[in-house]
Amino acid sequence: MSKPFGHMGWRHSLWWLALIALGLIMVAPLIWTLMLSLKSNSELLRSTTNAFHLPYTLENYAAILKSSGVFRWLFNSVLVAGLTTIGVLTLSSLAGYGFARLEFPFRDVLFVVVLFGLAIPEQAVIITRHQMFAGLGLHNSYPGLILPGLAAPFGVFLMTQYFKAIPKELDEAAMLDNASRLKVFWKVLLPLTLPAQATLGIFTFLAAWNDYWWPLISATRPEMFTLTVGIASSQINFAQTSGLGYLMTQAVFASVPILIVYVFFQKYIVRAVAGQAVR
Amino acid sequence: MNRVSAIDIRNVTKAYGPTLVLDDISLKAEANEFIAFLGPSGCGKSTLLRMIAGLETLDAGEIHIGGRRIDEREPGARGVAMVFQHYALYPHMTIRDNMGFGLKNIRMNKAEIDRRVAEAARILEIEPFLDKKPGQLSGGQKQRVAIGRAIVKNPDIFLFDEPLSNLDAALRMRTRLELAQLRRRLNATMILVTHDQVEAMTLADRIVVMHDKKIQQVGAPMDIYARPANRFVASFVGSPPMNFLPVSVSEGANGAVATLGDGSKVTTRVKGLTDSASWELGLRPEHVRVSDQGLAAKVEFVERLGERTLVYARLGDGTALTAEDEGLSRVKMGDTIYLKVDGDAAHLFDADGKGYHTPEVG
Repeated sequence: MSKPFGHMGWRHSLWWLALIALGLIMVAPLIWTLMLSLKSNSELLRSTTNAFHLPYTLENYAAILKSSGVFRWLFNSVLVAGLTTIGVLTLSSLAGYGFARLEFPFRDVLFVVVLFGLAIPEQAVIITRHQMFAGLGLHNSYPGLILPGLAAPFGVFLMTQYFKAIPKELDEAAMLDNASRLKVFWKVLLPLTLPAQATLGIFTFLAAWNDYWWPLISATRPEMFTLTVGIASSQINFAQTSGLGYLMTQAVFASVPILIVYVFFQKYIVRAVAGQAVR
Repeated sequence: MNRVSAIDIRNVTKAYGPTLVLDDISLKAEANEFIAFLGPSGCGKSTLLRMIAGLETLDAGEIHIGGRRIDEREPGARGVAMVFQHYALYPHMTIRDNMGFGLKNIRMNKAEIDRRVAEAARILEIEPFLDKKPGQLSGGQKQRVAIGRAIVKNPDIFLFDEPLSNLDAALRMRTRLELAQLRRRLNATMILVTHDQVEAMTLADRIVVMHDKKIQQVGAPMDIYARPANRFVASFVGSPPMNFLPVSVSEGANGAVATLGDGSKVTTRVKGLTDSASWELGLRPEHVRVSDQGLAAKVEFVERLGERTLVYARLGDGTALTAEDEGLSRVKMGDTIYLKVDGDAAHLFDADGKGYHTPEVG
């Protein structure tokens, strides 16, 4: 005979129901996007509410394979987000190690200057940056898309704090083990910062991947668009009364790399969001 | 193994900003000697060890190992290996890699590294853990690995920075014994930093008692215990600590006679006293025994330790004093007891704290 629900059982069930409902709300737009991408544009022109009814078609996917610039934009996004991430990790790790472990003049003042970067919104410097990049001829180039993202005060702050949390005895043990300073950094300390690197890497990659504003300003030629700018440029009109399926298909394409990243780094992403990566 | 290395510390001084930590320290250790730096927290003993290791710079002075000046060399080039208080094992490396890391860095060939790691692992009985990571080991096992990492380097000098302080009482006692056995086996020069006098007394050939930026006394453990150079050493070494009673001193037939506050006298064999405004009589608790006659005292507390009983009492003039009784003592709180003092084992300390003792026989 099954045991009737106790007080805790009901509370547990309610929690589960609430979580399932929240999960459905979160995932609904994604499913809707996928369903819309499988509908013909002409059908969607009549109504967008029939996304969950047959018939479905792959004509949008076929059209993208033939004509869209989405693959070029995908390549651009992977390159820009990838190199930005590598750059931020490299610079933040080196700077973090320097601030945490090395003695040099004005170290603490410099660290405060770096932290000031956290307080300056991008909007405040965007015109100056635009002018500067125009003067340097960096618009419509990969360096133009990547360089602004490398200034990552949060990354420097995060890595500095993480390096500080590693006991100095490890550096000292390695020095007694005949390790040079570079070797101490590379072989002993850097591997221990992997959780922080993963957190920073994920956040940097996602921010660079989703960035819309700077690529919109810097990349004016379609072949230099990133996915966000490229997909937005595909909108036929503001209300998107036609070509909705095609647009949604591009959005599905755009989300595939992020999904792949998520599959491989799920553990780190969950830790990063839960704030457990930096202990 | 035939080692000739010895350590020679010459007039070493160290300050952190305006705070002087070590003041003109000089010390020599012979080859294969086990030296313990003993002192309370903040006395500079760890700083001195770290200076030998090359982890702290010297403000003045020199350090020589085996006749070579090493204080300007990199830590890895000094011929020392250090075991840290918190082990300092590399968490992401296996035990094998932890032990071999230093050897790889000097480009030793792999076969020799493997041989040395295997030999150290055999000595320390850590062979089953070689492919594990430090996080999978207990505190005691980590400590063995830390010692193993030092052994494989075959250093001129082993440095131990409070290596047992992270272990629980039972494990600490066992590891202490193992460290003593290891020392006999390796027959190497070792320096141990500790604030635990039992560690220092049981392990060291000589103890260097440090306090107030300076070396207070250097000597064999029992010499330090029996003939403390000054009041600090007398109070720091020995548990429970030595009793200090204010006395006036007069010359007797066989030595100084100390007169306590209540007028009772203790005849000592201490000779050669200098003029001093005030004196203190130093008595170890085991030299003050509960008896049928002697100094009258009121019992304030009794600690029954099994093999002996510690009696905390107060004399008629209010002076507190710790005495010993047999394990099955009947003394209880509130009793009035009589204490017999062994004057032959008594010490006297002058106004500057300098110690005077019964002359050594022979």
